[in-house]
This record gives sequence, structure tokens and C-alpha cells, in this order.
Amino acid sequence: MTVTSTTRPIPAQDRRSARTTPRRPRRPRPVAAAVTVALIGVFALGPVYWLLVTALTPDSDAFAFPPRLWPRRITLEHFANLAENPALLRYLTNSVIVSLTTALLTVIVSAYTAYSFAKFRYRGRRSLMYLILASQMFPQALLLITLYLVFSAYGLLNTYLALILSFSTFTLPLCVWMLKGFFDAIPDELIEAAKVDGAGQGAIIHRILLPVSLPGLIATGLFAFIRGWNDFIFALTLAGPDKQTLPPGLVNTYLGEFQAAWPDLMAASLVVSLPVVIGFIILQRYLVAGLTSGAVKG
Amino acid sequence: MSITNGSPDTRLSRRNLLRLLGVASGAALGAGALAACAPSSGGSNEPAGGATDDGVKEFHFTAWSLNEASTKDTLQAMVDDYAAGAGVKITTASYPYNDFLNQVLLQIRGGTLTGAVQVDVAWLATLAATGKLVDLQANAGGGYTDAALGIAKVNGIQYGLPWTTAGIGLIGNSELLDRAGVTDPPATIADFEETLRALKGLGGGIVPWAAMTKVDQLKDFIAWMWAFGSPVVENGKIVIGDDASVEALTWYKKLYDEQLIAPDVNRFDARALFAQGKVGFYEDAIAGRGAVTSASPDKQIAEKMRPVARPVKNSGDKPRNLAWGHAIVVVQGPGAAAAAKFAAALTSDPKYTGQWFAKAGLPPTTTAGLDSAEVRNDTFTANFATAIGAHSEPDPFWVYPQFAQIQQVLATQVQAALIGKASPKDALAEAKQQMEALAK
Repeated sequence: MTVTSTTRPIPAQDRRSARTTPRRPRRPRPVAAAVTVALIGVFALGPVYWLLVTALTPDSDAFAFPPRLWPRRITLEHFANLAENPALLRYLTNSVIVSLTTALLTVIVSAYTAYSFAKFRYRGRRSLMYLILASQMFPQALLLITLYLVFSAYGLLNTYLALILSFSTFTLPLCVWMLKGFFDAIPDELIEAAKVDGAGQGAIIHRILLPVSLPGLIATGLFAFIRGWNDFIFALTLAGPDKQTLPPGLVNTYLGEFQAAWPDLMAASLVVSLPVVIGFIILQRYLVAGLTSGAVKG
Repeated sequence: MSITNGSPDTRLSRRNLLRLLGVASGAALGAGALAACAPSSGGSNEPAGGATDDGVKEFHFTAWSLNEASTKDTLQAMVDDYAAGAGVKITTASYPYNDFLNQVLLQIRGGTLTGAVQVDVAWLATLAATGKLVDLQANAGGGYTDAALGIAKVNGIQYGLPWTTAGIGLIGNSELLDRAGVTDPPATIADFEETLRALKGLGGGIVPWAAMTKVDQLKDFIAWMWAFGSPVVENGKIVIGDDASVEALTWYKKLYDEQLIAPDVNRFDARALFAQGKVGFYEDAIAGRGAVTSASPDKQIAEKMRPVARPVKNSGDKPRNLAWGHAIVVVQGPGAAAAAKFAAALTSDPKYTGQWFAKAGLPPTTTAGLDSAEVRNDTFTANFATAIGAHSEPDPFWVYPQFAQIQQVLATQVQAALIGKASPKDALAEAKQQMEALAK
């Protein structure tokens, strides 16, 4: 009589792996990360929420104590009042024109400048780099009076050009350094390979470096756009009533000698910031990529 | 030029640091040289003279009231009406009130601002120091009161035409005072203290007195130093730190410690709290009434606002309040004469002063305007004029072009005493030292 085994023999390999494979640790629940993100979200979005709540609150309840997380009465009158202030559209248009042009000009100039600093060696290069960095040490208000006098002498006051040039003075230095860090990370072999293929400097810059650096360029442009969009004192001083941008325009309209129309100001701020928020949401992946993949490296 | 692999060494070595400092110094010198090359306007107290008629019928009018929601439509309508009637062209411009003086100063010194300009009377000395203001004595015959004309003068020269003047004084909440059992307004400082304690007894988060405790509005303390008998400035000398002013600050600190006044309050905060019915007293100019009523859920709040004469130290003393007001000045340039006529009309023509009072609540500065039925029949305005306006005098530091910095120093030291960083005596001694240095 023959006895045969009914169990399948375990291959030797499996026996060894059964003895040596460690038990996979249980993945910890990301509670800490979720709490951290929630806290940061509250700090970041809390003011925006308060903006919305105040915009929906009647004037007489705006300073009610204790403050309420949701208004007792909701009103849309502050949003309706925006229609009675056509100047807001002018401020928004001026802000878009000036900030977009500043961003474009800054990106173009800083891209070539940064390429020069990153990929070339010449006498005076470091001095130039430090000179550009040194300009960041001056408070902007110090430059304002000098710029005012210079623009006045050349008849540039109350023009878009005055704002664009002045905004560019304080966006260019940092953008040059941001892009320099980005270009430093691009391997020189890429450029040498292009040269071997017969590409000139123009082709190297425009067909190789700039397309590769697109996230950095967009991040730099967005940074320059934000700096121009948020500026108050230069826009108030150098632009006349027709060329005023949003920050001085909103202050001029809603913050008075005796009272501040806070709910109306909140409503106006929400509405005029919507186009920019939408634009940033569309471009956010470039911003994140640009900031994390070399734009801030020294 | 050559391309090398990898990033260059950009560590901040000593050589790099010295190079950086050298470049920065060179840039600073260059900026200074550029600024020095800039045209400078003479700073003197000499007036630019009266406005001679150059036949130009176009001028500018710069005013913050042209953009504020409560006044812009009314003022623009007045400007348009005048322009049509006088056959002139008026170009308007506006800046926010808090930045107005800096913008106007910069433009006057840069030579880009001319025409009529709305100003706070506190700014007159600073603007007069530019030497670009026109003497408006020839246009001051519109029936202005002597007191109003006096406030718009600097060193005896009529630089401004007064548009509205009043004072900054105590306004009480009659409802809260009635609930606290206060039937008569406090006449002395001792009475005032007792009234504040009675208000505190009401509980419910009531702030007995929303006194200024934030630096930006602590100039109100000057009137309390007066109340305790300090002249503040005597014969051109700053005498802060004398016994009376130390007594005033000691008293103010006592109220702070007893929580009869609240920390971190400026006039915007005080108005908001008063509008919510949470304040027994606060100090304001006459125009604050509009801000309070528009922000209050209580539709009767306007009737409850009661101007109160400032309590005095000893019975029989005269109350003293800080003056407040607006004026219109004219900056020398083309069309100055036409601008001066416009300023005179806006500030003295009953057609315009009546409109301005009706819409903005700001009383006129002419005898005829003050005697008009609209003004006399407005209870709040009449009471305010009697209790506060009649006892107002200019801030003693307005005569200094750098008055804002001088007041800032005083306010900073008063606040230091309130929060216990310095004793009242030491705080005022320090303030006096710094103020004297600025006033030189």
C-alpha cells in the first residue's frame, strides 16, 4: 500500500521568505498631519471667512459684541452698493494692467539677467549680483521720494509707466535671484549638448532653457504680480485719480476721516479679488513646482 | 565669458561681506546724491503773498471729502454748481484722510499741486512752512466769526478760510446716565469720577469712559492737563512735567487701574462701542455723530448723545477743549485768485454752507450761518456749540511744523505711564525732553 501526501510541498524559496519577510508595520493614521493642516487652514482661511461674514452683515451689526460667527441678519446691500461705485471697476482695471505688465517686464528682464549670472563668468559678475541684492536693503519708502522727483522731472507722474517702473524696481532684485537659483540647477551638459548640435545662444535660451524653466518663470511672474497688486504707497503717490489701483482706491473710498465703511470695504475686497484668485488656482501647480524645485535655492 | 559647471561659490565670506557693504554704501551715496540734485523748495514761514488775478479760470480742488461716501456726492454737486455759475473749470482730486497731509506736502514741495486744498486746521503750520500758501486776508470778508478766522491763521497770517470749526469734547449717553442715577452732568473732576463709578456699577460690559488710550489719539490728554491747571506750553516753552500735568497723568492712570477707562481704545473704537450702547462717555468732534448713528442698531442713539462740558478741577474754573476744524487753503500757482474766490464761496456762501451742514452735519463758520434756523434748531449742534465749541482753543503744538512728531512723543510717554512702564513724573519728564528737542 502506498501512502501519498495530499499537501502541496512548500517550495524552498517560499520557506526561506516565510522565515525572513518581516511583518509589515501597520500604517499610522495621519491624524497629526490632518490636525496641522486644519490649524493652518483656519489661520489662512479664517480671515477670508470673516471678510465674507462682515460683507453680509448690516452696518448696525458689524461691531456687535460678542461677535458672531454667522450674522444674525444677512444683507446683500453692500454688494449692491458696489454698482453705485463705478470707480471700483477703474481701480480693478488699473491694478490688472499695472500688475500684469510689471510681472511680464520683470520675468523678461530677470530671466536674461539670471541666465547671465548663472551660466557665464565675467569680470564684475559678483559685484553686479551683490549690487542687485543690496537694493533690497533699502526701505521702499526711501526710494519713493526720489522716484517721485525723478518721474515728476520727466513728466511721468500719473501714468501707468511710473507705476510699472517703480514696481519693477522692487520686484526685479528678488526675481533675479529666484531665477538664478533655478538656472543653476539646470545641468550645463544640456547647454553643451545643444552647442554640439549647432545651437546659438538665442536658441539655447529660447528653445532649451526657458521651456525647461517654465515653472520657475511662472512662479517668478506670480510673485512679481502679487507685489505689484498689493502695493499701496507707491500707487497712492505716483498715480493720479485716473490711474489709482485697488489698494489706494479702496482706502480712499471706504476709509474716511470719521468712519470706515467696513462691510462695504469687505464686499468690495471680495469681489475684486475673485479674478485673481481664479487665476492663481489655475496656475497654482506651476507656483508650487517653481517654489519647490529650485526657484528658492541660493 | 565662459560657462563653467556647477554653481559658483557664493558663501558669505569676509571678502564677499566687505564687497557687499562697499557696494551698498556706494548705492546709498548715489541715492543721496540723486536726492540732493532734486529740486528743493524753500521752507520758510514767509507767505507767498495774496493771490493776484492772472485771469486763469482753471484750477484744482483737492479734498478728502470728495471721495468719502457720506460727503462725496454733496461736495461734488457744490463744486459743479459753483463751476457752472462762476464760469470756471475745477479739476478735483482726492486722497485718503490718513495719508492726505503727506501727499499734499510731497506735491507742494514737488511743485505739482496748486489750487484750493481742504485741510485740517492742525496742519496749517506745517503747510505754511512750505512758503507756498497764499495769504487769503483779502478773501476773509465773508462774515466769519473771529474765533474761526483765528484758528485758520498761522503767525497772524490768514492762510486758510475756515470751513467748519468746533472742538473735541465729552459726549455722554443719556440713557446710561439715567440708569446710573446721574441727573446732572458732572461739573468737577471729582464729580466725574463718581459718575464713572456709578456707570461701572451698571455692569454688562459697560465702559464708563472710552477715553483715548491708544497712541494715535492720546493728544486728547492735552485738554486734561489744561483741566488740572498745566499751561502745557507757556511763553513759547514746553512746560509738560510740571506738578499739574503730573497730577493729571496720575489721575488718568488711576482711572486706568480702576478700569474706569479701557486699554487700547482710539476714537474709531470709542465710536463703535458708543454705537453699541456700551459706553457712558467718549470724546469726539461734532462730526462723530454721523459715524455713531450710522453704525448703531439703536435708531434712537442720536437723541441719546449729550455733549457735556469738560469737568474742571475746581468749581468755577473755565473748561478748555482742543479745537478741531477744517479750512481751505490755496497753493500758489496759475488760477490761485480764482481758487481763492472758490474757497471763499464754499466756506461762507449760505447756499453752500447750508447744504454742507444739512448733509455732512458740519456747522458753518460764519455768523449768518450759525444764526440760521437749520443750525439753531439742531439740538445736538446747539448743545455742542454751547458746551464744547465755545470753550475750544487751538492745540498748543500746532504752531510747530513737526507737531505730529511732538504729539506722538507725548502720547507714547503717556501710554508708557498708563501701562506701568514709567511713573507719571518720569514719563512726562522724558516726554518734555524729547519734545523740546523736536521743537528746536
